[in-house]
Amino acid sequence: MPGKVLDVKVAVGAAVKAGDLVLMLEAMKMENEIFATSSGTVKEVRVRSGDAVNTGDVMIVIG
Amino acid sequence: MASRSIDELCEELKKKNASAIAGGGEKAVAKQKEKGKGTARERIAQLLDPGSFVEIDELVTHRCTNFGLEKTKPLGDGVVTGWGTIDGRKVFVFSQDFTVLGGSLGEKHADKIAKVQDLSLEMGCPMIGINDSGGARIQEAVDSLNGYGKIFFRNTIASGVVPQISVIMGPTAGGAVYSPALTDFIFMVDKTSVMHITGPAVIKAVTGEEVTSEALGGAKTHNEKSGNAHFIAKTEAECFDQVRAVLSYLPSNNLDDAPVVESSDSPDRAELSLREVVPTDPNKSYDVHNVLKKVLDDGVFTEVQPGWARNILTGYGRVGGRPIGIIANQAQFMAGCLDIDASDKASRFIRHCDAFNLPIVTFVDVPGYLPGVTQEYGGIIRHGAKMLYAYSEATTPLVTVILRKAYGGAYLAMSSKALGADMVLAWPQAEIAVMGAEGAANIVFKKEIDASSDPAKTRLEKIDEYRHAFATPYVAAERGFVDRVIFPEDTRKEIWLALVGIESKRVSRPARKHGVIPH
Repeated sequence: MPGKVLDVKVAVGAAVKAGDLVLMLEAMKMENEIFATSSGTVKEVRVRSGDAVNTGDVMIVIG
Repeated sequence: MASRSIDELCEELKKKNASAIAGGGEKAVAKQKEKGKGTARERIAQLLDPGSFVEIDELVTHRCTNFGLEKTKPLGDGVVTGWGTIDGRKVFVFSQDFTVLGGSLGEKHADKIAKVQDLSLEMGCPMIGINDSGGARIQEAVDSLNGYGKIFFRNTIASGVVPQISVIMGPTAGGAVYSPALTDFIFMVDKTSVMHITGPAVIKAVTGEEVTSEALGGAKTHNEKSGNAHFIAKTEAECFDQVRAVLSYLPSNNLDDAPVVESSDSPDRAELSLREVVPTDPNKSYDVHNVLKKVLDDGVFTEVQPGWARNILTGYGRVGGRPIGIIANQAQFMAGCLDIDASDKASRFIRHCDAFNLPIVTFVDVPGYLPGVTQEYGGIIRHGAKMLYAYSEATTPLVTVILRKAYGGAYLAMSSKALGADMVLAWPQAEIAVMGAEGAANIVFKKEIDASSDPAKTRLEKIDEYRHAFATPYVAAERGFVDRVIFPEDTRKEIWLALVGIESKRVSRPARKHGVIPH
């Protein structure tokens, strides 16, 4: 869903578990919580707060 | 020639029965088991109440003489058919046998399926098909194709009359996928079920795309990407549990009542914690499952299509032992907006519930239809219209609970009074309006905001003013668009009272062949 990044909750190198909150995305006037889909280490954070994103954009890479 | 003795004749029958039951023989059966798959008969035994299965057409064989097929004439022709019971209620069933001619569908194989379909319709009982087939039997050519046609025709005629369930437990390709698509629900088993119109080899030859069979048409693909399937299970046993659970909510046919169960969960049960589940701030998200859990009997919500179009939930539950269909916006996913897929998913489930007279309870918290070029080009107008169509057309009892946001066209689409909802309940934090307070204030108070010495401050004041005046359930309640504004903790009791109050609903519509639903 197209929206605006409000807050990135993790940094590169952080260990995350599937289901952890990693990012807040404002879309449809709602603060949507984006959860990790898999467990691992954050390899890349490709967005900053304030960025506009579109459907299908990769925001965080977890490996 | 002397007549044979009765013992000899019985011996002959015994041999025939044994031959039919052997299926494709030990080797083929062993191969089936290696893949974690059961045989056609084992699957029927797993699905039905123990010992309830009555088989018919066990001795049917094909009559094809092309390409040497006359030399192999397995009894039963690759499909096991008959009837039995689930929870003591009669169902009709077919189960394709992959060990016999690859479960391929020829003329007589199709005739056997068509026969149980006819029986299920005449007896008014659910039809369950277990699919595991290599597809059309090439040797039987156009007879095989005609067989598919007969099955499709019967699926369509029985649609909305008896529940039809398709269980995919192996490959289904080409024409074979269309019978499942015509039924109420498709159940798939992870890693062993595949459905596609054309397989990877043809796709590679025609479009050059390279894709594995699993990625193209596996259980995950159809449950999460395409929306073709409704349930995914890890094992065949789990899959049958899901089938039985779904049938437990449904009547045997469209004239029967759905089964009511004894419930120890009092319909009066108040849940003060419901005040905390939905944040009053319209920008905050939450999981609407938590509302359903507190409202339904024993917290049980049997979700249909949980993996696809997750911005709207569809499924079954009970209140006071009575089965209901549930539609709920999911704020946690895409803000619970309506988009193309959500409209498709919900409208079909609404029509399913209406066909079988299950009351529909709709939980509303919707910011609107999803804006965007992709949605507009994808036809959100016609897809979104299905929601309006499905609710308007429904004659089953409709209860609506507005939890929070109900904006604009999406408010109307979510079982609004104007579309025929019988009882519209609203929580105190409900905001029933043309749009959110921010957007509305910017338009309505544009002059005041522009003229102000401190536009930002005035804007906030005006937003607040608008919110207090219009973003409430009370304007709608004054008009009668909301029947009752309720305390969140009483939601379960209020739904129960509404269901009891409107269960005798009888509505007649003008006679017509059928409507022309937007697709």
